[in-house]
Amino acid sequence: MAISLRPLHTLAVSLLLAGGLTVSAPSQALPISDCLAPADPGGGWDFTCRSVGKLLHELGLVDSPVRVINMPGGVGAVAFSNVAGKRAGDSNLIVATSTVGVTQIAQGRYPGDVDTMRWLAMLGTDVGVILVDDDSPYQSLDELLEAMVDDPTSVVMAGSSGIGGWDHVRALMLAKAAGLSSDQTGSVRWVQFDGGGPAVTQMMGGHVDAVSTDLGEIAGFIKSGDVRVLAVLADEPLAPPFDDLPTAVSQGYEVAGYNWRGFYTGGEVSDADYQAMVDTLKTLYDSPEWKQVAERNGLVPLWRGGDEFDAFVRDTADKVESISQEIGVIQ
Amino acid sequence: MDILVFLLHGFAIALEPQNLFLALIGCAVGTLIGALPGLGPVNGVALLIPLAFNFGLSPTAALILLVSVYYGTMYGGRISSIVLNIPGDEPAMMTTLDGYPMALKGRGGEALGLSAVASFVGATVATIGLTLFAPLLVGFAIRFGPAEYFALFMLAFATIGGVTSGSFTKSFIAAGLGLLLGTVGLDPATGVSRYTFGLYELYDGIDFIAALVGLFAISECLLLLEDRRRETATNQELGSAIPGMKSARKCAPTIARGSLIGFVAGVLPGAGASLGSFLSYTLEKRWLGRKGDFGNGDPRGVAAPEAGNNAAAGGALIPMLSLGIPGSGTTAILLALLLSMNITPGPLLFEQQPDMVWGLVAALFIGNIMLLVLNVPLVGLFARVLRAPSWLLMPVVILVAFVGVYSLNNSAFDLYVMLAFGVLGYVLRKLDIPSVPVVLGLLLGGQMEFNLRRAMSISGGDWSILVSSGISIGIYAFAAALMAAGLLFAWWLKREEAGR
Amino acid sequence: MTAEASGAAPSTAALGDRIAGAVLALLAVAAWWHAQTFVSGFRQPVGPDLFPRLVCVPLGVLALYLMCRPGLNQRWPRGVALLRQAGLLVVLGGYAGFLESWGFLPATLVGSVLLIRLFDAAWRQALVSGVSLTVILYLLFEYALGIPLPAVPGLGV
Repeated sequence: MAISLRPLHTLAVSLLLAGGLTVSAPSQALPISDCLAPADPGGGWDFTCRSVGKLLHELGLVDSPVRVINMPGGVGAVAFSNVAGKRAGDSNLIVATSTVGVTQIAQGRYPGDVDTMRWLAMLGTDVGVILVDDDSPYQSLDELLEAMVDDPTSVVMAGSSGIGGWDHVRALMLAKAAGLSSDQTGSVRWVQFDGGGPAVTQMMGGHVDAVSTDLGEIAGFIKSGDVRVLAVLADEPLAPPFDDLPTAVSQGYEVAGYNWRGFYTGGEVSDADYQAMVDTLKTLYDSPEWKQVAERNGLVPLWRGGDEFDAFVRDTADKVESISQEIGVIQ
Repeated sequence: MDILVFLLHGFAIALEPQNLFLALIGCAVGTLIGALPGLGPVNGVALLIPLAFNFGLSPTAALILLVSVYYGTMYGGRISSIVLNIPGDEPAMMTTLDGYPMALKGRGGEALGLSAVASFVGATVATIGLTLFAPLLVGFAIRFGPAEYFALFMLAFATIGGVTSGSFTKSFIAAGLGLLLGTVGLDPATGVSRYTFGLYELYDGIDFIAALVGLFAISECLLLLEDRRRETATNQELGSAIPGMKSARKCAPTIARGSLIGFVAGVLPGAGASLGSFLSYTLEKRWLGRKGDFGNGDPRGVAAPEAGNNAAAGGALIPMLSLGIPGSGTTAILLALLLSMNITPGPLLFEQQPDMVWGLVAALFIGNIMLLVLNVPLVGLFARVLRAPSWLLMPVVILVAFVGVYSLNNSAFDLYVMLAFGVLGYVLRKLDIPSVPVVLGLLLGGQMEFNLRRAMSISGGDWSILVSSGISIGIYAFAAALMAAGLLFAWWLKREEAGR
Repeated sequence: MTAEASGAAPSTAALGDRIAGAVLALLAVAAWWHAQTFVSGFRQPVGPDLFPRLVCVPLGVLALYLMCRPGLNQRWPRGVALLRQAGLLVVLGGYAGFLESWGFLPATLVGSVLLIRLFDAAWRQALVSGVSLTVILYLLFEYALGIPLPAVPGLGV
């Protein structure tokens, strides 16, 4: 095969040279050249890739623009298996992921586990919210959860994830904290929409009662006063302009539900390259430009990198797995 | 009349020389991208976003550029539909039904001109609707819950028998096949894999574009290899676009109806441009009955879907801007663009960013006019392309389609999917089973199923939720009336023929 | 058999529809049967198996109807035509298979030359147009459109 191909290689190269193009070798010092977004253009992972890729170039951390490659499928499973199989040792590649991706791994929905990849860093996080319509009968989180515990079928909840996805799991964690028994969680009505915005709109139309989703996606509805926030799922109150939203913790429910945004790379990338990539991302995180991009999109800048991030991902995966078993999403 | 003041202001911005130039570039580039099979609006808009950033364009200027590209790709998709019988993207599919027969009769230029005018009118109607009724329409769209959406999809499939002139049975079989193929992949609600047989590449379902290009382009190529004397539009003169302007006047009522139907479909997020163009075509066919010659190159069969899909594209901006809900892949990208420019679409956008909103509306108008103007020279250009010998033209089309489909997901698997659909499309054509319902099933099946399941989740398994609102009952009644009319009409035709 | 050239012979016409009806009916039954494996752990009013089954019912019934009351078909290809069609599928399938392992440029070069040959161009024409087509496509996608294409292994292009 290799012998018969050689003339073609030569031909291809000479064609290119004849066309006046130069062939540039990949640079060793500046590692990241591709960002794989495991989703269609327009989604959260695509945004992570595009904004970080653009910023890496603007800050001079890479010498040519980062190429964004969209590879949707199976909530990231297609990209995951592609990287594991074809680009496991490619230190030019970063792949966007988030709590949603790790939830999928923890529930065994990817072809592999956390050890398959090397976890680089998280750059920011979105935070979960529980919302009702502004003229809903539920005035507080207590009232909503009380109704759910009394009769789990009485409240129709919605969000952007499917059954067992992160939005659903977060909502059930709250219900459990309020005293809903594990064998009752399956009775809570859950409706999936194509995103937080559509879920809120359907709630405004009176088709569902409450929504569990990320704050960033639906911040506009909070500002306009079309919805009432019953709880944000953060440990601490948020920064302005969302500082007056009540946390679940302050209402006596020890539940936090973040959705961080970060990156992984292939499992066979060398330690030196891995460290260089983490350092590059750290420089990006430390820039004021990233803070601006993050805040503009409803993310709280938050850094965890290298080994610390790796440990954090493992810990998250373990927790999600045990919660998923408790609430009956997986056996 | 605050709106008028804002709109005039928007026009003042859009008419600046720099912005006009951007609109021209955007339309021309977009038309070329759209005409390449497999590449559509999503690619065009996505790849120009970095360009907009690199030139440091103002938000309004960037939007004008991207909206022009959007319209350009939509129009470009028609060109390959009409000239090659290969739709450039999903909404362009309906245009093949009468556009290609027109081209076979040497009226390709007329079809192109007509589709430009119909698109222009459709988009203009949508823009006017957007200007006047946006807040009102948001209230209307919100009343559509899962049960109402399901009714809407039932309506679409009830009218499917009217897509082509072939038999009703075969149309419904094709739709069923499409719906079944549409369930392949991971079920998003539960993560259960359906009919994937362990292939991760199938987890996200069958890619529409790969299926569409396979069904139309590869099967066309197979037919051409079978019969070298097969009549193609490439043997025909394309003619001039000017008669298209004239026949547009004759089609005026069709264009008006198509625009209205498309606009309503566009305003409902999740229904989208494909449903808009599809319903415009089938309802117009029903409306005209025996007065139409749909499927054999009736100009009204080009005018209706073209007006419909452009009106839908304009209508889709309403939920995108005022609710932050993208109704289609392209509006999803526009949304991402707005977000990265620090503009958050949502209930407050019209109050907080009037400059941007009305600048965008003005950009829509400008983009449309630009396309209409560009259309005349472009028809000449495409006529020249068609004079290329067919040993060159078909391989070029196929290879562009291959690379285009590959680049969508960077997946060689999609290329095999495309080939498989090519063979399927070929067999279907031999059997006189229409391909259009297969794509529609594939395209709309997912939303249809999810809305059914959403409705059932809300009701806790009570089927009566499907007919619990006035809107859904009204839609079902309309669908039943159309079905009955179609069957009666078929029976009457049969009796006529028997009596002869 | 040459006599049928002017119009589709009813017997063969019916055969195509009958076979298609049988295949589709089988498909509907198999899809219905396979749907029983779609089980999720979580209780739901409507599971992932309902919709495919709802579709299988009319599909199966209509397919049976088509089998019993077939309509018109067109003529099927034979001989050289069939060979050329198979050739197209082999060339395109091979192209899809080698695109990633060879890289875009060599795979497209070979693919386009063979494809143009298949449409009866002379070797000279095929080579010249194949080479230019490959280069134009590469420049168009990689540079003008900014869409990355698979690189030739070890060369970075």
